Amino acid sequence: MATISFDLVSPENLVFNDEVGTIIVPGKDGDLGILPGHSKVMSSLRPGRVMVYSEDKNLIKSFFVSGGFAEINPEKCIVLAESVVEVNSLEKTSIEKEIQELENKEGKETEEQLSVAKAKLEAINVNYYDKI
Amino acid sequence: MPSLKDIKTQINSVGSTKKITSAMKMVAASKLRRSQEKAEAARPYSSRLEEMLSSLASSAASGEGIIKLLTGTGKDQNYIVVPVSADRGLCGGFNSSINRETFKLVKSLEADGKKVHLMPVGKKSRDFFNRVMKDQIIESFVDLNVSSTGYESALNISNKLQELYFDGKFDKCILVFNKFKSAISQEVTQQQLIPLDVSNSETEEEKENSSNAIYDYEPDEETILKDLLPKNVSIQIFKVLLESDAGEQGARMAAMDNATRNAGEMIDSLTLKYNRTRQAFITKELIEIISGAESI
Repeated sequence: MATISFDLVSPENLVFNDEVGTIIVPGKDGDLGILPGHSKVMSSLRPGRVMVYSEDKNLIKSFFVSGGFAEINPEKCIVLAESVVEVNSLEKTSIEKEIQELENKEGKETEEQLSVAKAKLEAINVNYYDKI
Repeated sequence: MPSLKDIKTQINSVGSTKKITSAMKMVAASKLRRSQEKAEAARPYSSRLEEMLSSLASSAASGEGIIKLLTGTGKDQNYIVVPVSADRGLCGGFNSSINRETFKLVKSLEADGKKVHLMPVGKKSRDFFNRVMKDQIIESFVDLNVSSTGYESALNISNKLQELYFDGKFDKCILVFNKFKSAISQEVTQQQLIPLDVSNSETEEEKENSSNAIYDYEPDEETILKDLLPKNVSIQIFKVLLESDAGEQGARMAAMDNATRNAGEMIDSLTLKYNRTRQAFITKELIEIISGAESI
C-alpha cells in the first residue's frame, strides 16, 4: 500500500513530518479521512483531533489543534494549525478548571476560548477513530 | 605628561570594558543561534500560508469586510508605518538604520501628500520617534521578547493593526525591518503588509503551478479566505519579529566583536606608552644622580 506525506506545521515549528498511511483531520464541515491519492482539497479546520495512522492502520499519534487549514493533494497533506498539542499531554483537570473560569466571563474572545477548551476536553474523552 | 598612575588606571578601565564586550559578544552568539533556529522553524508555516493565499487570491476580485485585507480600501491616502527595532542598544547600526530608513520613508510619503502615522515596535524606535514626530505615533509595542513569548506577541500587534484598519484609520500598512541575511549582515527591508502584496511572492514557475492546481474548497473559497487573511497578517508580523530578533543578535555580536578588538588594540598602545613613561622616569632619575655625583 502506498503512503502519503504528512506535514503538521505550527507557527513556531514543524511538529510532524513523515510518510504515513492515513490521516483524519477535523474539517469545518466534518472530519476528513485522507488516504494516499486523495483529490485536491483545501479546507479550514475546527478545533479537534488530527489523527495519524501508519500504513497498516495503527494509530501513530493524535494531536489536538485549535483550528487552522489543511491542504491536500494526492501525494501530500499539509496541516497548518495555530496551536498544536499531543492529545496524550493534555490534562483533564486543568482544562476543566479553565472551562469553569471561562464560563464566568463574557465576551467574544472568551467564547472562542471556551469552544476550544471544550473541544480539548472532548478530544481526551472520546476514543472513536482510535481503531480504523 | 600623564603620570604612571593615570596610565595604569586607564589600562585597567579599558581592560574591564573589554571583558564586558567580549562577554556580550559570547551571549549574543548563543542567543543568535537560538533566534536563528526559531526563525528557521517558523519558515515552513509562513511559506505554506503564502502558497495557499496566492492560489486563493485570484478568486477574490473585490469585496467587503475581511477581504479588504487583500483588495485594499480602494484609497491611497492614509499610511501607517511600522518600524521594527530592538529594545536594547549596543548593536551597531541596527537600530539607527531602521530609524533613518523609516524617517526617510515617512518624509517621502508626506511629500506626496499622504497622511502618515507610526506604530513603532521596540524601545529604540519608539524613543527616536517620540523625539522627532511624537504626534504621529498611534501606539507602540515594547518589551516583546519574541524568542520567549513566541506567537502571542505577534498576535497583539496584528489585532491592533486590523482593528485600526477596519475602523478605516489607514489604507496601507508598511513594515520597516532588518532582514536577516547572515550572522554579520542585515538588510533594511520595507514590506507592504496591508493590503497584501501577492504579486511579489509569486515567481513565474509558481504561477504555472497554481493555475494547474484546481482545488476543492471546504466549506468554500470565501470562508477559507476570510480565515486565512487575518492569520496571514499575524504570521507575517511574527516572521518579521523573528527575523529582526535574529538580526539584532547578529548585529550585536559583530559590534561587540569589533569593540573587543578595539579595546585590545587600545590596551596594547597604552601599555607601550606606560613602559616608555616608566623608562623615561628611570633615565631622568639616573641623570639626576650622576650629575649630582659629578658636581661634588
